[in-house]
Amino acid sequence: MNGSVPGADHRAERGPVLRKGVGIPGSGWFDPRGRALGGFAFSANRVTGLGLVFYLYLHLGVLSMLLFGEPTWNHFIRLATSWVFLSLDVLLILGILYHGLNGIRVALVGSGLVADRQRALWWSLGTVGTIALIGAALHIFGSK
Amino acid sequence: MATIRTRPEGSHRRTLRTGPGRSWVATTISGVALLVLLGVHMVANHFVVRSVGGLRSYRQVLEYMQHPAIFTIESLFLLVVTVHAMLGLRGILLDLDPSRRAQRWIDVGLTVLGVLTLAYGYFLIGTLASRA
Repeated sequence: MNGSVPGADHRAERGPVLRKGVGIPGSGWFDPRGRALGGFAFSANRVTGLGLVFYLYLHLGVLSMLLFGEPTWNHFIRLATSWVFLSLDVLLILGILYHGLNGIRVALVGSGLVADRQRALWWSLGTVGTIALIGAALHIFGSK
Repeated sequence: MATIRTRPEGSHRRTLRTGPGRSWVATTISGVALLVLLGVHMVANHFVVRSVGGLRSYRQVLEYMQHPAIFTIESLFLLVVTVHAMLGLRGILLDLDPSRRAQRWIDVGLTVLGVLTLAYGYFLIGTLASRA
């Protein structure tokens, strides 16, 4: 079985170059060097996913301030509408858009609906995401 | 162009019925649901409110949470986002190739974390809705 797949003999060896194009290895997925577009998209999807999980708990923590009443929340609102926080909001939108749109691509490719169009999907959804990100950034900074 | 068969015929369908396949399907379904619910959550919370930074004031938050439709949507959103997050974390941890014993601990740990997240989230939603 091992001899039937190109590069199968080298799969156990470490290093991103040897793994290039063969598939996502069991470890080292966070290292996008030497990977094709699919590998980079996979790494970025996981990094944004981890970031969004972190944000989920941060968001719950921030919303807990509502339990302490209006003065606490108003104090937070003043802080959250500073340029630094609004910039972090744009970064959050970037993460959400990337993870969501790449998720659509993975679902379409993985389910076999458009298995042979993953590059085209990546670029077209990337364009949609970029436009949406610009719109969101204009809305966020425009409200300041 | 010559191609090399890397998996036996029909294995894709079989994979979807087994453990890893079920997890992928569950992640995908929760992800699609999340796209809709997150869209509603973001627009309702930050894009239709006329205030600085698109953030609701204390009174606006309480009035928002009081609405039955919003309460239902936010509760569903919390459930779906937690399930999707736990499935995603599980996928990443299982890629580290843990032993079967470690896999069981991962499953138990993520289930507990998910339940605690839901419990606190629903406590938060319920408390805010009842204050309005």
